[in-house]
Order: sequence, then structure tokens, then C-alpha cells
Amino acid sequence: MDRRKFLNNTAKIAAGTIIAPYILPSGRLFAQTGSQLAEHVVYVLFAGGVRQQESVLQRYLDDSQGLPYGGNIMYNTFSGAAPTQKIVYGTGAGGPNPIPAILSQTLEAQGTVFKEVSSSTAGHYGGLNALLQGNTANTQGLKSKPVYPTIFEYLRKHGGFPASKIWFVGNGIGNSVPLLNYSNYAGYGPQYGANFFAPTFTFGDDGVDYLSNAKVYHPEDQLSPMYQMKYFLDNSFKSVGNSLPLLNNTEEEKQEIKLFIKEMFDKTSAGTIDFPPVADNGDLQTIGYACELMKWFKPALTVVNMSNVDGCHSDFTGYLKNLHRADHGLGHIWDCIQSIPEMAGNTIMIAMPECGRNLEPNSIKDANQWYAYDHSDTNARRVFGVMVGPGVPVGLQLGSEQTPIGLTTDGVPTIAEILGGPALKNQVLGSGFLAPGSESWFDRV
Amino acid sequence: MVKSLSVRTILLVFSAMLLLPASCKKEDDTYQVNSELILPASAFKTKLKTDQQYVAILHANLFQQALSANELYDIAQCIESIGDKEVAREVVISNFMNKPGVQIPTDSAMHADIDKFIVETYERFLVREPSEAEITYFKNFILSDPNVTPELVYFSFALSNEYLFY
Repeated sequence: MDRRKFLNNTAKIAAGTIIAPYILPSGRLFAQTGSQLAEHVVYVLFAGGVRQQESVLQRYLDDSQGLPYGGNIMYNTFSGAAPTQKIVYGTGAGGPNPIPAILSQTLEAQGTVFKEVSSSTAGHYGGLNALLQGNTANTQGLKSKPVYPTIFEYLRKHGGFPASKIWFVGNGIGNSVPLLNYSNYAGYGPQYGANFFAPTFTFGDDGVDYLSNAKVYHPEDQLSPMYQMKYFLDNSFKSVGNSLPLLNNTEEEKQEIKLFIKEMFDKTSAGTIDFPPVADNGDLQTIGYACELMKWFKPALTVVNMSNVDGCHSDFTGYLKNLHRADHGLGHIWDCIQSIPEMAGNTIMIAMPECGRNLEPNSIKDANQWYAYDHSDTNARRVFGVMVGPGVPVGLQLGSEQTPIGLTTDGVPTIAEILGGPALKNQVLGSGFLAPGSESWFDRV
Repeated sequence: MVKSLSVRTILLVFSAMLLLPASCKKEDDTYQVNSELILPASAFKTKLKTDQQYVAILHANLFQQALSANELYDIAQCIESIGDKEVAREVVISNFMNKPGVQIPTDSAMHADIDKFIVETYERFLVREPSEAEITYFKNFILSDPNVTPELVYFSFALSNEYLFY
């Protein structure tokens, strides 16, 4: 070996030693930023089983109760005239007063609508899993974690996003919703999972009773020695049992979350949470806290789940009310995004139901003598999708009942492309975990 | 020529030195004693507590009395509603610390007999006796930092990983 070779090799080894600590767990050197379509995505899981007929098709009572009254009850999402008779979905006794639109221009007019998307399942949990993991695994059980990696894990593991930038806001803790923030898949899992709140519980009555009166400790004088003792105990503990499912928030991120919790209790108490103008159900209250969360953390990905529409199993009138309110909430989220300087003009919002509802009703009638609808037939696998934000074609409508375009599993590669560019999208599509035929919506347009 | 020879010589000598330890084998000196894997007592806590178990035991440890079934259910739901369980537990503990009736030794009682305080804390929270190394660590830590109070020691034990297992 001559001197030149020796110096050359030494320089290479030194460079490798310096660079190695900065290689991400995925093997990528830098997180995807340059090729992002937007820096933020808000993904609304809308809203507990929505029939095409009352939503995107704007038939109101015409295709459900045999009454000749059509019209659009989703004022913020779709363009179209509202029903003129039999108004039951608004506020007041009997719901005669529709909630005015929040947005001056509908989401349909501002972005792209996929009018006929195929859902891979007619069930809620399977549908939510399809929206979040891009697949509906046959082995996916209720009350169990997703079996394939979720979009949260793809973003954190391969995109390099920190935990506090990836959030899932659930509308409750029932129906296995808290399980959706990470999968059980080997190599992924909790260390790449999303932070989660079910705000109506965390900041609701129980939260006020048991979480709101937290003692405030001094970060340096008290918390620092406390953590030092905890870490000593943790280092002394060598368990041969299960490992702990930790989300790997840093100490600073945990402190931010605790401050946010305190702020939410203060704001709840003061009545200053950014709720939609009408917030008379759990979905709308959840959306209020989701807006506060976006203002505080400015997440790269915020997923918001809604489900009040599912009352349609026994109450069609309530379903119409909640569908009208889910649209009201969607408008409020988009309005809220525009009020956050870091997110305005830099956020793409996607909304899509996890499943639809049946073509034929069940035998249950509500107070208006209207039939209720379950979700178990092919009509329940028909949904719509809305996408709006920078780079999204404006005023575009794709698909029809005869020619469906898109799958509910498309959400995962679409978000991967928005936040990680073509490289992350291809990595997700090439992972082998997505349902066959899944594509980014940007490729479909 | 001379330079390349000298480099080769150095490499040969270096390689020979690397082989030296492998060339002789140390005799087995276990003298018919079976080799056993020795683990600390805590290693056999292998089962993760559920949120309800954790809260029930935490309340009993801090207040020396049981939590009602309704409160237990409600607090477990609060923990479930927060994704980062470490944060959730920390908030629950700090709420408990703010409630009247917490049974914590005074600062002066701790300093009067630090060894006793450490042993009792281990027994109270981790249901075992501390090792000498653990006693020494905590004793030094408590003596070196005037900000360390019994409350903070209890907090660290309640938040420790070992406390999550049984």
C-alpha cells in the first residue's frame, strides 16, 4: 500500500464514521423534504359509514324513504342546491334550521372529488384499517392492532418524522380506535407510532377529575433529578418478559404534550376551545380539540376520526343531522387550517369514509317513520373521496357509479407522496403490504 | 522497494500478534460447578400490568388505601385516551401527588435514616429489597442534590419500568 492509497482509505473511513450516526433507521441519509407536495396533511376519516345517496349523490330522502325530496346537505363539501322541504338535519327542535356553510367556496370547487371510490370492506374497523394501513388483511381481527404497518409508521420510520409531528385524534376510545396508532408488524410498531388523543375523554369529565389537577414541577430542579432516578431504576431493570410499547417521544416532546394537556384544560374551563360554530355532538367536539392540536404542534400528519353518522343503524333522522354536522366539521377544519400561518397554503386535506351503507333499509323506523340503514351489502362498499390543497387539481371530478376510480387504500400512498415525494411513495407501494391496485391519487388524476 | 518491504514486515508481525491469543486455549476452570445464568430479582417480573392494575396499585402505594371501582374504571379510560402511556402515567401520578391524603415521609424523616427510607421505598413500590449498589446510588443521589424530596423519589419509582411489571 502506498502513501496515497493509505491516505485515501483513511479519509474514506473517517468520512464514514462521521456520516454513519446521521443515517436514518431506514437507511436513508436525509428525511424527505425537498420533494414534498405539501408540508402538512390532514386526513379526515369521515364519518362512520356514509351512504353515497345522501352525500355525494345529493338525493336526501329520494333514494332512502321513497319521498321525492332531493338536495345537498353537505354545504361545505359539495356544490349543489339544498333540499327545500322536509328539513330535519339542522338545529332547533326537529332540526328545521340548517347550519350555514362555513366556507365561501365548497371543497369540491377548491379541489378534486373522487365521486365513486371502492371500499375494500363494509365494516368500520376493517375500513379504518384500510384507510390507515392501505390494506384490509383477512387476518385483521377486531380489538387487535393493525397487522400491517400504518401510514404513521411509514412516515416516522422511512420519512424521519418525529413523534410529535404525527398525530391521530380519535373520537373516542371504543371500537378499538386507540389501537390504530401503530401496527404489530415486526420492524415497525410503537416506536414509529402516532401520538394519540381521544379528546372527549382526555379533556372530558373524567379527564377533568383525574388529569386536570396535575402538580407542576420545576423542569430543572425537580423533573431533572426525578428522571435521573427513573433512568437509574430502568437501567437496573433487566426484564426477561415483554418489552414496553413506547412511542419514543423525546423528553422535550413529552413536555410539550404535557403543556398542551394543561392548556386544553385551561381553555376548556374558559370556554375558548376552537369548536365549530355548532358543536352539539362528539365528532364536532373532537374536531375542536383537533384544531387546537394543529395550532399547537403543527403536525406533518393529523388524522381525525369521526363516527356519529353511524347512528343510522336505528335513526335515519339522526344520521342526516350528523352527516350535516360532519360536513360542518370538515368545513371548520379547513377554515382552521387557513388560520394557522405555518399550515395555510401548505396543507393538503383528504376526507374519505371508511365504508358506505346499504342500498336497502333494515326494519327499524325512527320518530319520522323513516327507515334506518346498516352496512353489509355492495352499496356499503361505495364511498367518495375529497382532496384539497396546494397542487391538487381544482374543480376536478373523477369517477361515476359505472366507472369507479380509486380505492380506500389509496390514502396511504397518497399521503406518502405528499409528505415524502415519489421516493417515499414508491417505498410504500413497493413494501408489499398494500392492497393490490392501490395508487396515489396524484397518479390517478 | 525498501519502504514496501518494511510495510510488509510490519503487517506480518501485526498479523502474527493477532493470531497469538487464538493459538492457546485457556483451560476450563469451573471445577465441576454447573454454569448458571444469574439474574437480578427484578428480572422475573415478566408480566406487564394493565392500566387498571397499574392505577389500582399506584393508588394503594401512594394513599395506602384502595381506589373505588368507578374511579379505577374512569382513570383507566383516561390513560387509554392518551397515546403516549408514559405521559399519561406521569399526568396521573402528578394529579395524585396534588390530592390530600398522599402518604409520603417527610424530608427530615428521609434524611434521618436514608438507608431505611430507600429499603422501604423499594419494598413499597417494587416489592423487593434493593441491592447494595442500589442503596449506594440512591444514598449518594439524595445527599448530593438538595432538591431531591421523598415525593420525587416516589414519583421516579412510580414511573419506572420495573413498576410496570409484576
